[in-house]
Amino acid sequence: MPARPPTMFDVDWNSCIQCGACVAVCPLPGFTSQFDTIATHRPCDVSCMACERICPVTAISSEPGPDDDQLA
Amino acid sequence: MKIDGDFDVVVVGSGPAGATTARSCAEGGLRTLVVDKKQELGSPIQCSGAVSANALRSAGIALDDEFLSASVHGFSVFDGEGEESLLDLRRASPEPAGYVVDRRRFDRHLMRTAQQAGAEAWLKAEALGHEPQDGGTTLLRIRQFGAVRTVRTRVIVGADGLQSQVGRWAGLTTRIRLPELASCLQYVVDGVETRGLLEIVTGSQWAPGGYAWLFPKANGQAEVGLGVSRTMTDRDARWHLERFLRESFLRARFAGMRILEVQGGGVPLTAPLRRQYDDHIILVGDAARHVNPITGGGIHTALRGGILAGAFLREVLPTGEPPTADLLRGYQERWEGDFGKALRQLYTVRSALNRVPDVDRQDRELHQVFANYFRPGSPYRYI
Repeated sequence: MPARPPTMFDVDWNSCIQCGACVAVCPLPGFTSQFDTIATHRPCDVSCMACERICPVTAISSEPGPDDDQLA
Repeated sequence: MKIDGDFDVVVVGSGPAGATTARSCAEGGLRTLVVDKKQELGSPIQCSGAVSANALRSAGIALDDEFLSASVHGFSVFDGEGEESLLDLRRASPEPAGYVVDRRRFDRHLMRTAQQAGAEAWLKAEALGHEPQDGGTTLLRIRQFGAVRTVRTRVIVGADGLQSQVGRWAGLTTRIRLPELASCLQYVVDGVETRGLLEIVTGSQWAPGGYAWLFPKANGQAEVGLGVSRTMTDRDARWHLERFLRESFLRARFAGMRILEVQGGGVPLTAPLRRQYDDHIILVGDAARHVNPITGGGIHTALRGGILAGAFLREVLPTGEPPTADLLRGYQERWEGDFGKALRQLYTVRSALNRVPDVDRQDRELHQVFANYFRPGSPYRYI
């Protein structure tokens, strides 16, 4: 069981300035999108939320991701 | 297997650290390739571009109007209330103490110099991974314009920034913890007067855990921005910057401001990596966390690391010794003896500041650190 429930992130491309800060602070290797942001196509099961906080323009939002049962 | 190139050194990343390493390697006769996944050198800009004259001189970079945006003749450090501590060096010398460079042009200039020295460069080329071979070489896979190419090299230099993939292959680069990454935003603006100085504003009412800046640029333009620690505020950098522009004691100077560009980034205020090498791999620049943890400045440290890395590789590679971690450790040892000591010292200053529990006291101490930082006799003046 993960300590925190998984999270799905969303990047508002209109706000994103492609600075890469979210990836720099992310503990998951390779959890990236094609646009040098954190991944938005699969859930994050660390849910530390550091990416959401570091973003200088609050381009990242999140909602609870599907949990393991739903994925199975 | 088809090999698309044979090199002594492949540098991943074409920023100041990578380009300087590549230039030095090529000058020493090493077969050098630079790969960068971007399509444009120096873009997107994530940095203000302030660099000391000494940094350029010691890296052997001739001053060139191509990339110099504005001259810097000193520093003005304000506390949160607007109390100024001024160091104007024009009284002592007409020569600029430093410059603000145009990062797009500067990066391009450095890469062009590296190419003129004989380095090859591939853009839109992403390094994917490598596989060590017998005989002291490794095969590096690179995807360029959708096709995977393989090159043989002896050393891979990771100059690929904060999110360094090369460092991650070797297990050297870990993520930066949130408290040690400043969240920064700056506007390039028109219609704001500057003073030929780097103007810095400390104070947690404006930039909690960081500082705000106003730097001159060419053609009457300026850079105004700030960095905050997100563990010290619930608001993002943009909110703090907007408030600084609207409410700070400098607000009258921003009244006629027009925004030309928005730039941002995460600036590491952290210690250099404990280990910056592995079999076939060394790291330079942001990838090795060669960043000043007080100012967040990274150009000087990137150039210096590049010079040291290049000089080291020029010395050891011609001996034919296999580039094992044991051999490449020598690069870091040199770096520690040169720049490492100062950066690690600055990190202890930064950590002590972070530990001050009282916000007002922290503000006062940070202001003192900045006010003294550039003074003659300061041990950090040249960093």
